[in-house]
Amino acid sequence: MNPFLVAVAVARKDLLSEWRTREMVPALAQFIVLALLIGNFGFQIDSRNAPSIAPGILWLTLVFAGLVAFGRTFGAEREQASLEAMLMTPASPVAIFAGKALAASALLVACEAVLLPALSLFFGTPFSGAIVFVVLLATVGMAALGCIFSAIVARVRARELLLPLLTLPLWIPFIVAGGQAVQSAMGLPGSYDQAIGLLIDFDILFVVLTSLAARFVLDE
Amino acid sequence: MSIIVADGLTHRFGRELALEGVDLVLDTTEHMAVLGDNGAGKTTLLRILATALHPSAGTLQIAGLNASREKRRLRHYIGYVAHAPGLYPALSTAENLGFFCDLQGVPHERVGEVLDIVGLRHVADRRASELSRGMQQRLALGRAILHDPKLLILDEPDASLGGDAADLLGGLMRGRSAVLATHDQALANRLCPRTLVLRHGRSVGTATHLRVVR
Repeated sequence: MNPFLVAVAVARKDLLSEWRTREMVPALAQFIVLALLIGNFGFQIDSRNAPSIAPGILWLTLVFAGLVAFGRTFGAEREQASLEAMLMTPASPVAIFAGKALAASALLVACEAVLLPALSLFFGTPFSGAIVFVVLLATVGMAALGCIFSAIVARVRARELLLPLLTLPLWIPFIVAGGQAVQSAMGLPGSYDQAIGLLIDFDILFVVLTSLAARFVLDE
Repeated sequence: MSIIVADGLTHRFGRELALEGVDLVLDTTEHMAVLGDNGAGKTTLLRILATALHPSAGTLQIAGLNASREKRRLRHYIGYVAHAPGLYPALSTAENLGFFCDLQGVPHERVGEVLDIVGLRHVADRRASELSRGMQQRLALGRAILHDPKLLILDEPDASLGGDAADLLGGLMRGRSAVLATHDQALANRLCPRTLVLRHGRSVGTATHLRVVR
């Protein structure tokens, strides 16, 4: 069985379910707009300090939106008892994990499509391809980590509490490197290329580690 | 030839002993019912036989393969219906089956055949969330036979199926080996020549041959 086709089937199934129920993306988009609005009113924003404050608001919003998006990835499967049915097939658990991570990333990207223009609108910061690239790069590694911890905590009762406790410390490298890259793309001093290189390294590291772990996490 | 050979299956959930020393042999195309009160260990036994749960002790061979080591290979042989249907509510009946065709590596043409077998052709486009409980159970049964398994493990599949449960289950089990857990003794007698009775996680004997011991 082709693991790539299995991953695509799982991702397609998750995205189709979200398209039909519209459970997550509209709520997350609203959350994003509200978070930016609060950030806008909470700080005295002007053209001088916007590039140093906006990246912080961007990553804070993205982190909380990501926790909700990835938390539902395996939580919903457990609630409807469908994860076991999926794992009872000969399909590779790594391919199933990849499909779930792919779908969760796509949902987060949809939220980022609201977040980045709204950030530019509320904070008057530039909206450039360089910033989009940073956010997309960070999404890859954050999705891999978010999904593996979502799978781990899905079987425990206090999963809403445990997921941030486990995930946030490992997301810090993405926030540090991503924040530096976004600030640099907004015109503040700092090396954009160096931060991008770090993000790529973290992506590779965590995608490989979570793929190796997925087999053991999902197997029983 | 035996499709299941289990020796001393034992399982603990923490300090709770759910299953203790169950031995079991099931021949090819043989059907066996598992009876017992709530908490007797029926679901634990069936989950172990379906390779969804690894036993704390004991050995299990299915189709001559070690169930602990060859779990993934064995999934081709086993069709399992768990207690809960485990469907995707936003997907239609046909889409639910189609998705599992992709995971089983089965062509999508099989969806139509299975819908006819379980009598859900007329609701093929209806979302799983809009199906009655009985229809959802039929869909779960259809999913279990998508890949034409040699062994069916059915955990109380008669729940909410209605009057023709025995005919439907009998049709699905024909030509296959099957282990069926149920509370309905009449259904067990009709579909299965042998019955294993569990009490407090232990096998207390069978209704026919004494090849299933303890």
